[in-house]
Amino acid sequence: MASMTCRDFHHELDKWMDGERPANAQSHLKSCVHCGALVADLSAIQSEAETWDSLPSEPPERIWTALRTQLESEGLIEDPHPETPEPRSIGWWNDLFAKFPRPVLAGAYLAALVAFAFAMSGTRGNHVKDVKWLDGSTIVSSPLSAQLDSAEVATVASMRQPNSAVAASLHQNLAIVDNYIALCEKSVREEPENEAARDFLYDAYQQKADLLTQMSERGETGQ
Amino acid sequence: MSEAEAIRLAQQGDAAAFERLYRMHNRRVYSLCLRMLNNTAEAEDLTQEAFLQLFRKIATFRGESAFSTWLHRLSVNVVLMKLRKKSGNESSLEEMTEPDEDSGGPRRDFGTSDLRLTGSIDRVNLQRAVDQLPPGYKSVFVLHDVQGYEHNEIADIMDCSIGNSKSQLHKARMRLRELLQEELRDQARKDRRAAADAVGEV
Repeated sequence: MASMTCRDFHHELDKWMDGERPANAQSHLKSCVHCGALVADLSAIQSEAETWDSLPSEPPERIWTALRTQLESEGLIEDPHPETPEPRSIGWWNDLFAKFPRPVLAGAYLAALVAFAFAMSGTRGNHVKDVKWLDGSTIVSSPLSAQLDSAEVATVASMRQPNSAVAASLHQNLAIVDNYIALCEKSVREEPENEAARDFLYDAYQQKADLLTQMSERGETGQ
Repeated sequence: MSEAEAIRLAQQGDAAAFERLYRMHNRRVYSLCLRMLNNTAEAEDLTQEAFLQLFRKIATFRGESAFSTWLHRLSVNVVLMKLRKKSGNESSLEEMTEPDEDSGGPRRDFGTSDLRLTGSIDRVNLQRAVDQLPPGYKSVFVLHDVQGYEHNEIADIMDCSIGNSKSQLHKARMRLRELLQEELRDQARKDRRAAADAVGEV
């Protein structure tokens, strides 16, 4: 076996670092402190470098967002499935209108608007506090729903002329609003995260509260 | 969706295919930019730039080379361009190395130091040393020793010969060793000075 000088080993160094182990190079390393130190140092560098690629280096999502925007602006990408212009959240709203004659709904809405002027001052303030329970799963037994139900019982009982035409009209409007509430609650149950559905439900509760206020006041005045 | 399918659809302008390709390769490209530049903001910018160039040219991709190789070639070029701008010159890749025995520069001896690096190399001081490498050395070192590419792949990515890739890696490693040894010597000098100062105060 031919002996190897430091210069010879230097020429073979890359092969050594790639894992080749010729006998004469092994022999040289056993006898040469300097080349041994060189190999040890380069191996240490290599080992540390290899760990870098395993480091988490997830690029932030904003890169893709910016990239996509740029590609869209340059007309390089086109979405074969563009979002439908009409969001699902208002589908049930259209269903509602399909179920009731428009004049009836308009009457209910107008009644609610009129009642709004007489609304209980505390009711609206309570809406914000009640937001958290509106999660879809507990909606039927929600505090606001229960509060409205008990208010309805009290209001109907307080009416002085329950059989009058006005009272009948108010009852009819109340039934419409109750149906409206039921539809809204159904929508929220089906899509708990849909904020538009929640907003519509709040509006429905608001309408019922306003209507009950109106009924209560009319009952008190005997109108 | 396979890579080949994503490439085909992206060539037709399919948004989902672009995103698929981005998700398949973004970590590798970002990692390359991050190791080369050691600056997250610049790495983000260049990752975006590399993919932008890729998607602009994707219609011309014919599959002569691996898609990842093509992407990495673009990425390395984007990074090298950035480094050239930072250093204020427009030098070629060959010029972005240091003079040595092959080009008539000062001969560097090897294995003459008794300062052992084993046990004293960590991520911080190695990154600091890598930052000081000439861009050409740095590219090959990051591609080979960090990202694990073979020399034939690096030759494709860097558009150079396999021998050139091997040569630059060798020089990069030797230069890193010198830089790390210099840092250790500086540290030892500072420690000695601090100890002497402490004795003087007593």
